[in-house]
Amino acid sequence: MGRVVPTSTQKASAEKLCKAISKMKGVEADTIERTSGTSPRWTVSVVCEAENWRKLAESLNNTHSVDYCSMITGIHWPEGPEEKKWEVIYHFLRTGVKNPPSVDGVLQPIVTDPNGVKGKDVPLEIEVSIRLPDTRTPSVASVQDIWVGADWNEKETWDLVGIDFDGHVGMRRVLQPHETPTGYHPLQRHHNLRYHGFEEMYDDAQGFGRKPDDIGKVK
Amino acid sequence: MAEMWISMGPQHPMTHGLWTLKIKVDGETVVDTVPDLGYIHRGVEKICETRDFTQITTYCDRLCYASANTWSHSYIYAAEDLLGVEVPERAEYIRLIAVELQRIASHLMWMGAYGPDTGNLSVMVWCLREREMMMDLLQELGGSRMHYNFPRIGGVKRDLPHGFVQRARSKLHLFLQRIQEYEALFDESTVFLVRTQGVGYAKPEEMINHGVSGPNLRAGGVNYDVRWAHPYSVYSELDWEPPVERSSIKGADCYDRYRVRVEEMRVSALLVLQAMEKLPGGSDTYHEPGDPKLLAKAPSRAPEGTSGYHHFEDSRGESMFYIAGGGEGRGKNPYRVSIRSPMFITIPYASKCMIGYKVADIPAIMGSFDPCIGETDR
Repeated sequence: MGRVVPTSTQKASAEKLCKAISKMKGVEADTIERTSGTSPRWTVSVVCEAENWRKLAESLNNTHSVDYCSMITGIHWPEGPEEKKWEVIYHFLRTGVKNPPSVDGVLQPIVTDPNGVKGKDVPLEIEVSIRLPDTRTPSVASVQDIWVGADWNEKETWDLVGIDFDGHVGMRRVLQPHETPTGYHPLQRHHNLRYHGFEEMYDDAQGFGRKPDDIGKVK
Repeated sequence: MAEMWISMGPQHPMTHGLWTLKIKVDGETVVDTVPDLGYIHRGVEKICETRDFTQITTYCDRLCYASANTWSHSYIYAAEDLLGVEVPERAEYIRLIAVELQRIASHLMWMGAYGPDTGNLSVMVWCLREREMMMDLLQELGGSRMHYNFPRIGGVKRDLPHGFVQRARSKLHLFLQRIQEYEALFDESTVFLVRTQGVGYAKPEEMINHGVSGPNLRAGGVNYDVRWAHPYSVYSELDWEPPVERSSIKGADCYDRYRVRVEEMRVSALLVLQAMEKLPGGSDTYHEPGDPKLLAKAPSRAPEGTSGYHHFEDSRGESMFYIAGGGEGRGKNPYRVSIRSPMFITIPYASKCMIGYKVADIPAIMGSFDPCIGETDR
């Protein structure tokens, strides 16, 4: 029974990681107890200065075996405090997954016992927040080469929120059409959800009155 | 031979939903691929900013029509983290039953679609027949057939109806027998074996680095599962193990990904049967909707500066919601909702897996990753 990672193991591991990365310059780390349904879980929450982010990312991946980039969220805070007009939040997981070994050419699956995980194999949730001051061109360092999983997350964050990633190779629109006007990023707060009034919608519900973008262009 | 680009899509043979796969071919061999997504982008994240926390549940149901319950639960757990709600135990068991039934239905939908992809048409009808049983059970819980809107922040909409446990038990026992029929249908089909074995290799460490998780990862011979690694719900109370495939040394191929999903359906069925046995308060009692044993009181506003997130094992991998509180109406709406779709990250990786194989292998490889464009494009 109880084949899940014990809360105490996770807490100890989170505190250890927290202590290690707090020593780095420009990094503040803390453990946070979060609820999930009936059971608590321990996570590491990090606030990092933008210029130290790349160093922290390399250390997380190389030294602390954080191997999985789950999600990147960009937030636009136009009414936030001076030092936080933009925010990029990374969510990482430490999975401890390794390639299974083979014996005489036959693969031996790795079946981890959740109660027995220790050291750098203990699964952890890590949240890294990077705050940026008011700017028209917000950007942070890309981690696409460290975690390939961050690649499309970065593309999406630029596409929807407009936060750029320095050193990202092949940035392009992924969710919006390719011909979306430059500088249009819908999750920025000055874009409203609805541009049409109700009357306008009823007058031309199907949009027949609209003109295509490429009118008059040579095809 | 000269290389050239071919555009496959946006109408695809192997996915429900629209997307384009641009492939560069040298004769029949795939040399390079570029996936192009976003055809059904609805802007769910933006819409969520103008809705209150209860209303968002329905949007999350509609992220993936084949697996609606797992998506709404994924959101609900993140919202409960944000609002700091502790859920009654009975509600957690009912949620687990709902989610695992949905996982079976989702995998059956995948299997039903994968059969025709690989030249096995009769599988589709068989799988949809069994999916119907799961849909009937889920309909009893949520009231509708596809988008259940079943979980609530702090619990569930309503209790298990009278006789649900008996009906579920008999249907699941029947289902467990019928899985063997599918296995026979697939494993004895030479066409299926030839098309899936030895194509689309993927190795676990590479998958993790690319952000691929869930059944696709477990097919590679590791048992990583969010349900035990970042425990939520009542999985700690039940006796279960995530299925693991013994893949080849080169990694998991399409056949391994099919095998692991079949085993997952078995595990999910056993989890539901166990959860119904252990249901706190017994399976014969019925509580009216809103009873404190089903629904804990939850605040409706989240103050500024708070945030909540939750990693969840979806049918297709690790899904996740991040919610920042403090939006319109003094925190009545979220300020920002961010959704991690497992398939949005997996599709680029699956496209890389095709390089080196023939054009005819593309449906087999792509289909084996179980893509769902509804959640990908959001």
